Amino acid sequence: MGRPSHPVAALASQSLFGPPKWAVAWLGLLVLVAVVAPVLPLPYPPHVPDLAHIAQAPLAPGQHWLGTDAQGRDVLTLLVFGTRTAVFLTLPAALLAAIIGALLGSAAGFWGNRARVDISYGAVVAGSVWWVLRLPAPWLGGVAGALGLVGVATGGIRRRKLAFRLPLDALVRGGATALDTVPRLVLVVALAASAGSISAPGLLVLLTVTSWATPARLVRAQMLRIRTLPFVEAAQAAGVPAWRIWLKHAIPHAIRPLYTLFPLSLARLLGLESTLSFLGIGLPPEVASWGRLMASYRQESSAWWLFAFPSTMLIITILSLQKLTNSRK
Amino acid sequence: MGRLFLWRLLRTALAVWALASGVFLLSHLEGDTAVELAQPDLAELRTTGRASTLAARQTLDLATRHRLGLDIPLFYVGTHRPTSATAGQWHWNGLPNQYHRWLVGLLQGEFGTSYRTGESVGSRLLQALLFTLPLTGTAATLAVLLALVLAQRLAARPGWHRPVRGALVALQALPLFVIALGLLLFFANPAMLVWFPSYGLDQAVDAEMGVGEQLPFYLWHMTLPVAALTLSALPELTLQLTAALEQELGAGYATTARAKGLAERAVIRHHALRNALLPSLAQLAELLPALVAGAVVVEVAFALPGMGRLLAEAAAARDFPVLVGGVLLIGAARLLALLLTDLLSLWADPRIRWQR
Repeated sequence: MGRPSHPVAALASQSLFGPPKWAVAWLGLLVLVAVVAPVLPLPYPPHVPDLAHIAQAPLAPGQHWLGTDAQGRDVLTLLVFGTRTAVFLTLPAALLAAIIGALLGSAAGFWGNRARVDISYGAVVAGSVWWVLRLPAPWLGGVAGALGLVGVATGGIRRRKLAFRLPLDALVRGGATALDTVPRLVLVVALAASAGSISAPGLLVLLTVTSWATPARLVRAQMLRIRTLPFVEAAQAAGVPAWRIWLKHAIPHAIRPLYTLFPLSLARLLGLESTLSFLGIGLPPEVASWGRLMASYRQESSAWWLFAFPSTMLIITILSLQKLTNSRK
Repeated sequence: MGRLFLWRLLRTALAVWALASGVFLLSHLEGDTAVELAQPDLAELRTTGRASTLAARQTLDLATRHRLGLDIPLFYVGTHRPTSATAGQWHWNGLPNQYHRWLVGLLQGEFGTSYRTGESVGSRLLQALLFTLPLTGTAATLAVLLALVLAQRLAARPGWHRPVRGALVALQALPLFVIALGLLLFFANPAMLVWFPSYGLDQAVDAEMGVGEQLPFYLWHMTLPVAALTLSALPELTLQLTAALEQELGAGYATTARAKGLAERAVIRHHALRNALLPSLAQLAELLPALVAGAVVVEVAFALPGMGRLLAEAAAARDFPVLVGGVLLIGAARLLALLLTDLLSLWADPRIRWQR
């Protein structure tokens, strides 16, 4: 069949929005602006309202190139610092989610529900958890941990086959299903409320925690295929320990789908972050963000420039990311 | 088939319970903020002369905690409060704890009472749902119907299919709140066109109006929200269905149908459509929760009194019973969507019906 399988892929070949070079250049520019934003020679600093020129149109006599918002802040400055927020929030969140997802998903796919863990490792983990949580009589945890360490060091227990089965696959899949039952926006809103007033690192953790499920599922599916390939069998026959096969041989192949997914997950996170800012739930109000800038248009309904510039930037960015996704398929 | 189906439902129900429990426990860790927000303002207390001393404040605090049900331990096990001598040590709390009370209430159909208004959460959710269901239901129906019509046309590759597809892809890239704000900017703006209102349905519900007046008023207010939701759901459905149709049109049976002399329209409608529908049915299961999430954005943007705004406001005011109830309800909607999708795929594909 000569047709591409995905509708968006079909459009990628039609050069509707310019070649991928164009998208790469735009994304590179965004990252560059985000990095150098504090030292850019902007005519107006952030957080300093120009009270003489409130809600001015672009290119008006007030010397604001892109106008000002209802509080007299320069739109250009807000855009630049909004870029900084967007890049420094979505890029680490997507990276962390991809790493966590890849580790969990590949472990679940590689070992399935049959992972046999030696009981001495279990003793070490249980002992340290006991110690950290300060359950009654903390010395008990210490003793269990020490016994476990001795067992690991000597390897004596292993010969007697004292091992338990860790249902890794069921755990990871259960976690992913639980996260998927409720839309991500609702989940993030609920969790952001319970975490109290949220800071940028807090939001980063929240975005990561709610978005590891998709990469984990993809990598798990890929790993199910990889682990039956001859090279894994060959490594096993050569006596390579299982964890080494998993880390060094299987994972580099299993994370292939993530290269395609990464720009897409960036686009989704960008949409989510700006939606949260629009709802006024995500970041504190003094942090500049595209979503917040767009939301401020509702206080000043004749100020089209407050909506037009950030939304154009958002659309171009998301389209570039989609374009990048398609070119990697 | 039946057993697999039941197993799937059970697993999702379990996941909903786990997630709601997680949100419940996490949120109630932050009980102090809720107590603070539920109390009258400190400055206001000073002026009225109540609670001027520390002891009086503490009494008030305890009373608020008791009223909200926050004075008993959170979970079956827990550490002592940091003030006590044996702080940091774990102990068994027994059955009278917040989580147990919530769970038992849930099994009896009680969602709890709102911290803010003191109403029962169930009735508030029901009220909000009565508003949101028509909104999302209309948007979902419109999006599905439009997608069916549009995909059949696009699959035949008429001259205009490229610009329409380009527009759909661009629309897919937009977050919903940008669509909503864009509609507001163009159609409910004194500086552009004032065809539709941007807010004001709340007041209308209270005002005295006959049914004959109320209906056009309601429709007038609902046009833009429904349009925004439909536009956000449409591109994915249409593009997916078009791709599936195009794939089916390349199959052998479509060639045979064309060789019989059928028109392309007839080939699509009578032969390819049913086979292409299956993957789209799986999308329908995603559509219902997605529309609920969309309702959060749209109802905040257009100031509508529905489920989404209830959740957003509950999140802002730390009204945890409402928040947890909302999460549970949306999880239930997800279960319903799964059920519906499986029934629809039974109808669409006889192979699933016949396999045992």
